[in-house]
Amino acid sequence: MSLPVEDEKIIQHVPAEFSDEKESIKITGFWMFLVTDVLIFASLFSSYAVFKNQVAQGPSASQLFTLGPVILETLLLLTSSFTIGLAIYAMRKENKRALMFWLILTLLLGAGFVTAEVHDFVTFVSAGATWHKSAFLSGFYILVGTHGAHVTFGIIWAATLLFQVARRGLTAVTTRKLFTFSLYWHFLDIVWIFIFTFVYLNGKIV
Amino acid sequence: MSQPLEFRPEAEDAVSDEGEALRFMRPHFGEEKFPWIQIWGYIGSLVLTFAALIMVVDHVLPPLALLSVILALAVGQAALQLGVFMHLRESRGLAWQIIFLGMVLLMAVGMVGMSIWIMTFKSGVS
Repeated sequence: MSLPVEDEKIIQHVPAEFSDEKESIKITGFWMFLVTDVLIFASLFSSYAVFKNQVAQGPSASQLFTLGPVILETLLLLTSSFTIGLAIYAMRKENKRALMFWLILTLLLGAGFVTAEVHDFVTFVSAGATWHKSAFLSGFYILVGTHGAHVTFGIIWAATLLFQVARRGLTAVTTRKLFTFSLYWHFLDIVWIFIFTFVYLNGKIV
Repeated sequence: MSQPLEFRPEAEDAVSDEGEALRFMRPHFGEEKFPWIQIWGYIGSLVLTFAALIMVVDHVLPPLALLSVILALAVGQAALQLGVFMHLRESRGLAWQIIFLGMVLLMAVGMVGMSIWIMTFKSGVS
């Protein structure tokens, strides 16, 4: 059993999320989860890389993609990565109000990203570019869709954390949960950067 | 918080037990008065993103060279996110995540690289 949070923070000289031994090990465990998630995305990137020129009767990447919405999505996600960084900064300063403000902003930016992405997908599908049209489109939807599903799950997770922080305050448990959420969110930002580069920008290199 | 620390942090003890071999996993916690690191990280990520975008829109290089350069920018941006926002070196005790990430980098690059490489052999068929 660990000491009370305040004592642990002084003795260990670590932030609250690392103050409890059992909670702290969960952060290491979460890094291991992220590592396995890297492998999921690596395999999806592999299949996309292999299939990206197999367009069958469907559109090619350069015909299908428009960079406008993609730049908007990238800006939304990069900004949300910044705001969750500020949320963790506020958490370390024990500023609960600022933390909740930045967390809500992150949540809204994430929701904006998912909305833009769904709109993008609907546009593609209504133009006839469905995922059974070609191997390229299958690879595209499964890769980008898996990322979008991760972001959607992250939004729900953030919403639950918002309630937990509002009710329980900044404890060793809630700070650890917020910290792991921030790791998850930054990780999704990194994955998106590779999707942006390898799928969308690469699609425009002819 | 102002009283002198009577105990050495557990983290440093762990490191001294392990000797110099695991020095790179020594935990390090950043403490700032104002979130400058986050702000510079955000500006840096925007600069890298728009650099890649402008290079592609203006077709400044031949295709393969251009792809290599924008992928290098993406790797730079991933490193920036890890270092600035993900508190890569923070841990209680040694920062084992550095080992996990090094391993998975090897696996992911191997997986993607080898898949692309092996599929070039049947390019006439598929």
